[in-house]
Amino acid sequence: MKSGAVVFFAAFLALSASWAGFVLAPQIQIGREVQTKSLGSGDLYPLAAPGLAQQGAAVFRSEGCVYCHSQQVGQEGARVEIVLTDAGTNAAAVEALIAKLNLKPANVEAAGPAVKEITEAGGKANIEVFALGPDISRGWGSRRSVAHDYLYDHPVLPGTRRVGPDLANVGLRLPDANWQLLHLYAPASVVAGSTMPAYRYLFETRKIGNAPSPDALNLPEGHAPPPGYEVVPTQNAKALAAYLVSLRAEAPLFEAPVTPPPAAVVSTNAPEATAQ
Amino acid sequence: MNHDPKSNAPDNTSNAEPAVSMTTLPVWILTVMLVLLFLGAWHFDLKGGWFDSKVYGPYTSLHEVELMQPPSGDMDLFALGMKVYNKPTCVACHQSHGKGTPGQFPPLVGVDWVLEPDPGRLIRIVLGGLQGPMEVQGQQYNNAMVPWKDVLSDLEVAAVLTYIRQEWGNNAPDVTPEQVKAVREKTKDRMQPWTAPELLKISPAD
Repeated sequence: MKSGAVVFFAAFLALSASWAGFVLAPQIQIGREVQTKSLGSGDLYPLAAPGLAQQGAAVFRSEGCVYCHSQQVGQEGARVEIVLTDAGTNAAAVEALIAKLNLKPANVEAAGPAVKEITEAGGKANIEVFALGPDISRGWGSRRSVAHDYLYDHPVLPGTRRVGPDLANVGLRLPDANWQLLHLYAPASVVAGSTMPAYRYLFETRKIGNAPSPDALNLPEGHAPPPGYEVVPTQNAKALAAYLVSLRAEAPLFEAPVTPPPAAVVSTNAPEATAQ
Repeated sequence: MNHDPKSNAPDNTSNAEPAVSMTTLPVWILTVMLVLLFLGAWHFDLKGGWFDSKVYGPYTSLHEVELMQPPSGDMDLFALGMKVYNKPTCVACHQSHGKGTPGQFPPLVGVDWVLEPDPGRLIRIVLGGLQGPMEVQGQQYNNAMVPWKDVLSDLEVAAVLTYIRQEWGNNAPDVTPEQVKAVREKTKDRMQPWTAPELLKISPAD
């Protein structure tokens, strides 16, 4: 071959350019991300998932859930709103002021002067930031997904297809592990018209012994086992349910700013919903 | 081609070995490539965020992300204050109902110390702590409150004071982080807890 060296170096250059673009640059960009503070509360984010949920991630992966469920929320824009929280004693003046102010600011800084004027007129107003986009309006999240959301995922399973709904925040929407178990055993029993396959092999149908198991599913008519039998989740089913309940990517972050939800009311010692 | 089959001359149209040769790139291709390269680089400069790990779509630069940060100073002080109060910090002694512990820790509900329009004394108590005895609503209390200046930030002190001034039927104006910052600066050399007589000598607005 006459130009062997040229072909070799051209191929080498092409491969190293793509390696630099697909491996090296992302590594430099987000390879050293660590826990960060969420906006507002300053709580650390993300937190490692509980042990059972980590086992559930492996079940999620092996059952191929990712072929139908993505875990990534998209965002196509953001909106800044000036929210009047208190009209004050001179409501008429505040109302007149609002009528002539620009209440569609492009960003938070642009909203500042309007809020200042409202405050000077005796009212109280907050600046709130909302994310926009089809995924957000479907209720799949309050903001887009960013690299921090996947910090403790090995491997990251963002998914490419959405035969079913996105699961990035499923733990917020459906925080009840028992609901998740029912749904895994018989999707149609809780979601009419669901096309999800039933994962019956994650459960054991067995004869009731001396006493019914506390774990037994409380199945509705038509899905219940024959009398004298009970449906009990296996360890894999419990882990998968714990994993689904643990999925929540709602903390507002610097790189995906949204107004934090109002502070939670006094925390109690009551345990959160967990897989039985 | 009219090639004579008897001729031994090499046929350079059909049987010749193809060979690679260096040819000059036409100028117009070069121009198009350079224009595309320029447009690509220009687009990246405008929209790419320069590989910053803090820039994600729909934002195109770090500056844009900074402009969209929800204001923390104007955030709901009351809501944050409720969180701080129950962290547990204040709630341990003053209780979630704000009425304190009879005979030991004074109440916060309807107390002049809490409701003073200017919060100077109140900020000093939270930052520096307080040593009894003191009288609150006709009751004598002789106990100690720990200083919180190393634990709570200006924002958190402002939030928790706003909370106790507006919860349980209390109705006094917000305390701002700037006020807390100013008092923290003024009292940074103070190491002992405050006492009631000392605080009464200070103007609340100071």
